[in-house]
Amino acid sequence: MPGPITIFSARKIITMDPAVEEATHVAVRDGIILELGTLDECAVWGPYTLDDRFGDSILVPGLIESHAHLLDGLLWAKAEYVGPIDRRDPSGKQHKALKSVSALVRRLKEIEAMIAAPGTPLIGWGVDPSLNDLVDPITRHDLDQVSKDRPIFLLHASCHLAYVNSATLELANYAAIKAPGVLRDASGAPTGELQEMAAMMAAIKAVASDLVGASTDTEQFFNFAKVAQARGATTIVDGGGSTYFEPAFLQAALAATGSPDFPVRIVAHNNGITVPKVEDMIAAATSLKDKGNDKLAFQGIKILLDGSNQGFTGRLRAPGYLRTGANGLWNRAPEELTRIVSAMHAAGMQIVAHCNADQASEAFIEAVAAAQAEKPRADRRHFIVHGQLLDESQLRRMAALGISATLFSNHMYYWGDFHRAHTFGAFRAAAMNPAATALRLGLVIAAHSDTPVSPVDPLLTMWAAVNRVTTTGRVQGPRERVSAYEGLRMMTYNAAWLLHRDHEIGSLRVGKRADFTVLGDDPLAVEPMAIKDVPVLATILGGRVFPVAA
Amino acid sequence: MTIPVTVIGGYLGAGKTTLLNRLLADPQGVKLAVVVNDFGSVNIDAALIANREGETISLTNGCVCCSIGDNLALALHDLAERPDGPQHIVIEASGVADPARIADYAASHPRLFLDGIVVVADAETVRERVRDKYVGDLVRDQLAAADVIVLSKTDLVDADACRQVRAWIAAEVPGARVVAAPGAGEVADLMLSGAAGRAAMSRPRADDEHSRQFATWSFVRRQMLDGGALRAAIAALPPAVVRAKGVVRLSEAPERRFVLQLVGRRWSLEPEAGEVRDDWASDPSVIVCIGLADQLEPEGLEALFAATPIGHVPQAARALLRGEGRS
Repeated sequence: MPGPITIFSARKIITMDPAVEEATHVAVRDGIILELGTLDECAVWGPYTLDDRFGDSILVPGLIESHAHLLDGLLWAKAEYVGPIDRRDPSGKQHKALKSVSALVRRLKEIEAMIAAPGTPLIGWGVDPSLNDLVDPITRHDLDQVSKDRPIFLLHASCHLAYVNSATLELANYAAIKAPGVLRDASGAPTGELQEMAAMMAAIKAVASDLVGASTDTEQFFNFAKVAQARGATTIVDGGGSTYFEPAFLQAALAATGSPDFPVRIVAHNNGITVPKVEDMIAAATSLKDKGNDKLAFQGIKILLDGSNQGFTGRLRAPGYLRTGANGLWNRAPEELTRIVSAMHAAGMQIVAHCNADQASEAFIEAVAAAQAEKPRADRRHFIVHGQLLDESQLRRMAALGISATLFSNHMYYWGDFHRAHTFGAFRAAAMNPAATALRLGLVIAAHSDTPVSPVDPLLTMWAAVNRVTTTGRVQGPRERVSAYEGLRMMTYNAAWLLHRDHEIGSLRVGKRADFTVLGDDPLAVEPMAIKDVPVLATILGGRVFPVAA
Repeated sequence: MTIPVTVIGGYLGAGKTTLLNRLLADPQGVKLAVVVNDFGSVNIDAALIANREGETISLTNGCVCCSIGDNLALALHDLAERPDGPQHIVIEASGVADPARIADYAASHPRLFLDGIVVVADAETVRERVRDKYVGDLVRDQLAAADVIVLSKTDLVDADACRQVRAWIAAEVPGARVVAAPGAGEVADLMLSGAAGRAAMSRPRADDEHSRQFATWSFVRRQMLDGGALRAAIAALPPAVVRAKGVVRLSEAPERRFVLQLVGRRWSLEPEAGEVRDDWASDPSVIVCIGLADQLEPEGLEALFAATPIGHVPQAARALLRGEGRS
């Protein structure tokens, strides 16, 4: 017995489907789109309830965040956000960017005053002095102004660094820890900056043990979902580090996503990051295939090839990093990669490959070429995550081999100036995330935030791909800008295609899921620089409305 | 008690696991913890397994094998804080890790210290690897980080090729200590500081064991040593010496004993942790060197250390000490 019909009206419904590009009404039944067109066209299906609360708004296909991490939700649950980027928390509250050490200290004092119990550590996240107006190091002296007694631990946005106060240094006995990542001043005393896990671990264990080890906290799933939903996402990817193959973790994930109030769909990549053996990855992925629910699905196996460009650990082709010529780190040896890729490809798996810099992409492309030569298979939709320095020759080979990508377009905005000055230099900074060339060559590409690295905000990501502007207003690589239509398609249909879900989501068409994002303005009609400021009013997931707090 | 940590590095397939397996088979009484990326590659005799719990396999010989999971620091801190912890920790770095970075983890806990970095290089393929566009720089960095380089698969190349690769390494890594992959009886001597000292002092090697790659040479003096002269002598040790351990008294702090640890190019001479006494005077200073049997020259070593003792050497002591030499 089919359920009741609801017809939503809108100022304009943008379908992203070339058959019928625009509509004013959409009829929904049982979570599925029944008809799109005028009210009369929709009414043909029989009795309905008209929902016209969005009558003045714009409906677009539910926006898709094609690469993010559940860690974002855990950080919101366990730590205070104190970073240099504006961010909205799961409750919808906006946290203003703290762009100087003094602003950070002021904010920490406010937070400190609200922690009642003495000795309870103050844990913060999202700090990144490289994005401050003046790049000053953060020291224990700064943090001691906040408290001399209460341990303070601030995690860097990259998760590779931390800043601590004297109380933490003392509690964790840093006098006896000689790891070179414990920075020291001229007198030999720790400055409070801890670089990399070898230096950070003693402090983490002493004051922030919540941040390591797999948490089964259900709140992390809700946080992850709420932050993304508030910016209009209806589907988000959990990008591969989570341990769904562990029964307790899977149980927590199913419990959270099984709630009718869970506001997004999660597509989780299977873990090829912390699982060493390819046979185990394939077995875990196979066993999880049908273990999801309406809002949790497993797709693709994520593998990690190199590090991060702003951390100087991405694997670059010659001439390497700016000035030094240094190169980054492999997470998988290319020859091991060849075996892994060919085994997954042969087993029918989709491979999702983190390749930040261009040599990592090169290695992946070669591995797929070998796997395809061994066992040609169409439509696997293997794709590269980040692919920041892909060039035309790599993109052409990708097109030929059926490899796609989700690009890290947000990087141009947040780190474009940093890359120009410190990692890549002028030319390569302008060449980052070449979306226009990729689309021209016929690749189906998307773009992402990689939250918690940058905030999950699909309209901002679209805006970044459309404008390629840095925080200081410089447009880098203007020919690689995409149109607003292409930008919206990257955040909808193309992302759905990467996830093998374009038959269900990613555009509005009769028979597809009733997932919409409700906007206050038309992102295809506003000034391109205004796209990120288009208000998100609500999302609709399978026909159910999830409001967004104003 | 502090726990020495050895890092085994080297590119994929170089032979790290073979070395580990040999070590686990014969740890010479040392309670060893081996930290690996993946249990699957370590070949543990099922009869040896006492217990398996999550990320840890306990062996009947007192050793444990732990997998890194997704956090090496966490695995190490767990070992360091066990009440009944190991006497030595060996970390198997991944084939693409820079062992120097992994070695940083040995300094991540007050109870741990870095004993040395052993890098395994495949005699047959290492020179080809450094020309690889993807991993050439990495393999070079791995070799450069080594305190001792273990040349594996020397049986797969002829003597001439073996000489060539040794010469190439000598040019590539100045001062490199290069040894052939040690057999089961010798692997602990090379890898474990505790075993090296004990083995050398309690069971002197017989000269007629020609199959052995290593020989030991010891230096024992009743009187205190001059710190400056000793440090100069250690710094000038020839590449044939791959490991040394010592407990010595120095004139600069007569109330303490100093511990010498040397693994290839890395060495330290630090005051012994623990009690300060004024009756150390009765203890001799002892240094044991382990080196390549075919290259170790006792006369040269004797000459190197000749200037280290302070003051007059009694005739009786000379006679006593003459008996030490190469054993």
